[in-house]
Amino acid sequence: MITWWAPIAWAVASGAVVALVVWQVGRARTKARDRLPVAHAERLTALPAYRRALAAYRALVVGFVLCIVALIALSAVLTARPATVTLSSPELHNRDIVLCLDVSGSMISYDAAVLDVFDSLTEEFTGERISLVVFNASAVTYFPLTNDYDYISQQLDRLGTELADDDPSYYDGTLLGNGSSLVGDGLASCVTRFDRQQDERSRSVILVSDNFIAGEQIFTLPQAAALAVDRGVRVYGINPGDSSEKDYLREYAVEFEKAMNDSGGAYYPLNDPAVVPSVVESIEAEQAAVIPGAPLVTRTEHPELWIVLAFVGLAGLLLLAWRLKR
Amino acid sequence: MQTRLYIHAHRAVRGLIEGEYRSVFHGRSMDFDDLRPYVPGDEFKDIDWKATARYGSPLTKRYIASRKHTVVLVVDTGRDMAALGAGGESKRDVAILAAGTIGYIAIRHGDLVALVAGTEKKTEFVPGELTEAHLERLLQRIQSSTRLDGAKSNLRTQLEYVSRLFRRRMIIMVIGDDRALDEAEQKLVRRLAAQHEMLWLSVGDADLMREDWAKRDMYDVADSSGVPTFLRENPRLRAAFERSVIATAESTDELFESLSISSRRVTDEDSVVPGIFRLLEAHKHARR
Repeated sequence: MITWWAPIAWAVASGAVVALVVWQVGRARTKARDRLPVAHAERLTALPAYRRALAAYRALVVGFVLCIVALIALSAVLTARPATVTLSSPELHNRDIVLCLDVSGSMISYDAAVLDVFDSLTEEFTGERISLVVFNASAVTYFPLTNDYDYISQQLDRLGTELADDDPSYYDGTLLGNGSSLVGDGLASCVTRFDRQQDERSRSVILVSDNFIAGEQIFTLPQAAALAVDRGVRVYGINPGDSSEKDYLREYAVEFEKAMNDSGGAYYPLNDPAVVPSVVESIEAEQAAVIPGAPLVTRTEHPELWIVLAFVGLAGLLLLAWRLKR
Repeated sequence: MQTRLYIHAHRAVRGLIEGEYRSVFHGRSMDFDDLRPYVPGDEFKDIDWKATARYGSPLTKRYIASRKHTVVLVVDTGRDMAALGAGGESKRDVAILAAGTIGYIAIRHGDLVALVAGTEKKTEFVPGELTEAHLERLLQRIQSSTRLDGAKSNLRTQLEYVSRLFRRRMIIMVIGDDRALDEAEQKLVRRLAAQHEMLWLSVGDADLMREDWAKRDMYDVADSSGVPTFLRENPRLRAAFERSVIATAESTDELFESLSISSRRVTDEDSVVPGIFRLLEAHKHARR
């Protein structure tokens, strides 16, 4: 927008500049008249001491100019506020995951695969807490929710080894109920393993079971799923027993799938332990998709180095200015 | 004082002794000596027209000088001399005072005072006369032609002029400054010293590292280049400069000694008169 006074302002500014130039030129003339005329200045300028002094002075001036340039460059850098930008989904690091493993005989290889995957996943975790619960007739907390990843890794390794070596100690305490593979009870136990209910955390259970129940359970699977919904826990089911050849299992599988979907989780039927890693990956992705809130952009500024350099430059400038002034 | 001071002419001998000076100088007198070819600068009235007519080219009569010496003031009037001297005043003023003092002594003594003055570009010659008014004119000439906006200095031009044009033995009084003489100039001066009585008065150049000038701009009149202020406060450079000034003065003294020239360096107006007296005394006692 052009205002009426802009031309006047320009005229005044130009006038001021012209006046300043005229004044400066006049001053330079007066000064020139004031100069001392001497003859044979080579008496001084031809001296080696003079050349040395001049070289030293030039070095000072060059240093001074370099300091100014460095300072300007550094202030430009600092004005630009150098930073690194990281994209993170904080809620993913805010997860509590309970691994809920059915340790009845048919499930061992699938359990081992899940343990393997989580063992490697712990290396990337920051802030996630994991708990491991094994169940058969009754549920046993192998370790509670923790983010001590060394410990988790160690425990997962231990259970993996026990499963692989068929060391019976892995099912210690899991046979105290009435029957075996009581999935409903197992899931209910896992759901109740979450602590810090007042914290805003994403809670999920990864349930590995074939839902092949023998015996009398306190919670049915749908009831356990309802409990999970109640507590805001999503359940992801991995069912190795869902196979088309075994028609008699269909009913269980359908029930399992429904329960999982009701809880807001997902259901993965499979019949090969090698597929487990990709399943866990898809659970991760699913969680990322489900968890509300945009990914957080973290801007971390790194002015330290530049500030230090700028201070060094400033100190150099002051030092050189002092030397030059002298 | 004035009557006792005079510029001593060492080499005497050929011819007549008259008055106080024993003289080898050709001048005008009643005593005809011989004829020689005319050279520029000879008086027209000395031309022997009859002999010229016989000979075919101009011939000048030579007489044995009666008593008069000619003191030639060789003065640099280039812009170097308008610059500041060691005492802080213009070297021109010191040079004029020196020329005036010497001229006055010479005139009082009955010698002619001539002037060879000039710059790099041109040299002017004012023939000798015996009056104080003439001396005054000479001094005015020096005064008016020595300017900061004048031509560059080159004393060599004036020395060459003297060596080219002056055949007769004269008393040459050079008034210059601290300028160093190069090889060719030393040779020229050596030749002049052999032919003439030669005295050299240097007006000292400004102390470039003078402390009360350290804040003021300074420039070399030869090429208008500045002498940077920021270095003129450097104490180490000042010490080096002082040493070099002393060393240069000593080597200049030695040089003039080796050239058989009496020389003296004056720094300011106050040192001119005593300096000239010393110079004349030293010249009188020197073995040339």
